[in-house]
Amino acid sequence: MSLRAQLEDILKELKSTGDIEASAIVSRDGLLIAADISSSVNADAFAAMSATMLGAAETAMSELGKGMPDRVVAESSSGKIVATGAGERALLVVMTTPKANLGLILLQLGKASKKVEMLLG
Amino acid sequence: MKVISGIPVLDEMIEEIPEGKVLTYWIDPEVEGNVFAMQTLFTNLERDCRCAYVTLTYSPEVVVSEFNEFGWDVENYKNFNIVDLHSAYVGLPSNCKYSADPTNVDEVNDVLMKVIENCDLVVVPVSSIIDVCGESSIECIGEWCDFIRDKSSRLVFTFVSWPYPEKIENFIKVNSNAIVRVGGVHHRVILGYYYGVVKVDWKNIKSKAILFKLVRPGGVRAYIPKILVTGPYNAGKSTFVHAVSMRSISVDRLGTTVALDHGHLEYRGFSIDLFGTPGQERFDPILKIIGKEALGVILVVDSTKPETFPRAKQMLESVAHFGLPYVVAANKQDLPGALPPEEVRKKMYLPEDVPIIPVSAVNGEGVYEVIDSLLGLLTGRLWVSEDEPESTA
Ligand SMILES: Nc1nc2c(ncn2[C@@H]2O[C@H](COP(=O)(O)OP(=O)(O)OP(=O)(O)O)[C@@H](O)[C@H]2O)c(=O)[nH]1
Ligand SMILES: [Mg+2]
Repeated sequence: MSLRAQLEDILKELKSTGDIEASAIVSRDGLLIAADISSSVNADAFAAMSATMLGAAETAMSELGKGMPDRVVAESSSGKIVATGAGERALLVVMTTPKANLGLILLQLGKASKKVEMLLG
Repeated sequence: MKVISGIPVLDEMIEEIPEGKVLTYWIDPEVEGNVFAMQTLFTNLERDCRCAYVTLTYSPEVVVSEFNEFGWDVENYKNFNIVDLHSAYVGLPSNCKYSADPTNVDEVNDVLMKVIENCDLVVVPVSSIIDVCGESSIECIGEWCDFIRDKSSRLVFTFVSWPYPEKIENFIKVNSNAIVRVGGVHHRVILGYYYGVVKVDWKNIKSKAILFKLVRPGGVRAYIPKILVTGPYNAGKSTFVHAVSMRSISVDRLGTTVALDHGHLEYRGFSIDLFGTPGQERFDPILKIIGKEALGVILVVDSTKPETFPRAKQMLESVAHFGLPYVVAANKQDLPGALPPEEVRKKMYLPEDVPIIPVSAVNGEGVYEVIDSLLGLLTGRLWVSEDEPESTA
């Protein structure tokens, strides 16, 4: 199976757990690697913003000597965005429904990000 | 009649597909490379060339709808012909002007030669023919290649490179005057598709891999995933990104960029993503994150503020030290006291060969000249003529 197909499988599996509406694997420098996002969303821009969000949070936290954040969560009344590192080169970001159980999502996200890290290093 | 490839960058490289030549798109199975041949055909159809498309595994209706998917309304062109090997293959009558039974070698040969006599360009799915008719069909294909040599036509082959016996691969290589490889890449973290010239016997060139995207409608676009737009605070970077992009967003707070600008642009066969950086020094960590893997840099400076030029130089050094091509946009030329480009060059101590373009981003003046200039530098690096020494970049 091609690398792309394997990465897309990881995203499909995430979606099948429910409550995850969209997801993407993004390079640390903001380029889209793989996505499961409706075509109405500007996926390239979403990717760039996710990388900036995580990168800025990592910089802010390590400036304070608190190490690296495990994730960045943004919440609104219509949903959540969670971005987490997936190895040195990539990050994983998901968009959830408003009712999503964050604990459960984080568990799934943790597993998925390990898989991405194994594939992309 | 001159026939061209219709593929961005490739056209500049090989100029044309001369009469009597065979060009093969050598396609990795994971890539929708057929689009290259379709784009070559449609480009020439629009230029009034007589074109034919041989189909075996797809019905003529499916072929037309595949063209339509990319916005190519082939059915409205009188100079478009389908050579239908499909109907006989599935046992249906054909209603195309040219048709043949693929299992009958003589019939196929007769029709193909007639088509070659009557068309400027014939697209043939050689790997499908080999799949259906077996290895021996290469003899037949070889005859077409010989036949076309002294005709005023060209053959464009699509060869999907499944693991065929070496004999078949060699046959295709030997019989092709030009081979364009279309494949998948996994270059660092960029997962994408590329094409490149492997061989061309009417030009002395070497090409590098060119990333591409398929756009529907539109077809093959050379893909430039990241051009960085950087420069000092308030120089007009965000304004520039918005002025050139079809769609763009900025994360600006209190009138300054705190994260980035992102813009997308489809231009002259290219699909380009622009990343604008914040200008203020306190955001430099972000510049480091998103500045990676850029393919080129646009440095925007406020031509009325020479005191900001050292900062501009410093930003350029932090992103362009790997020999990335860059151009300078000497912005705010509409304001009184704006330094002309040559003054900017002097004050910044920039080499003579660095393009410095006068721009007024608010009025949209000069912005596409900047893009043209950078594309010129970028595509100049994608291929080299072997007659000239390779530039040291
Ligand atoms: N007169 C004039 N004003 C311009 C031009 N381009 C930009 N400006 C103005 O300059 C100011 C800064 O423009 P921005 O595009 O936000 O500059 P920037 O480089 O993105 O700024 P930062 O992100 O804060 O570093 C705005 O008020 C613009 O309207 C121009 O060509 N002429
Ligand atoms: Mg800005």
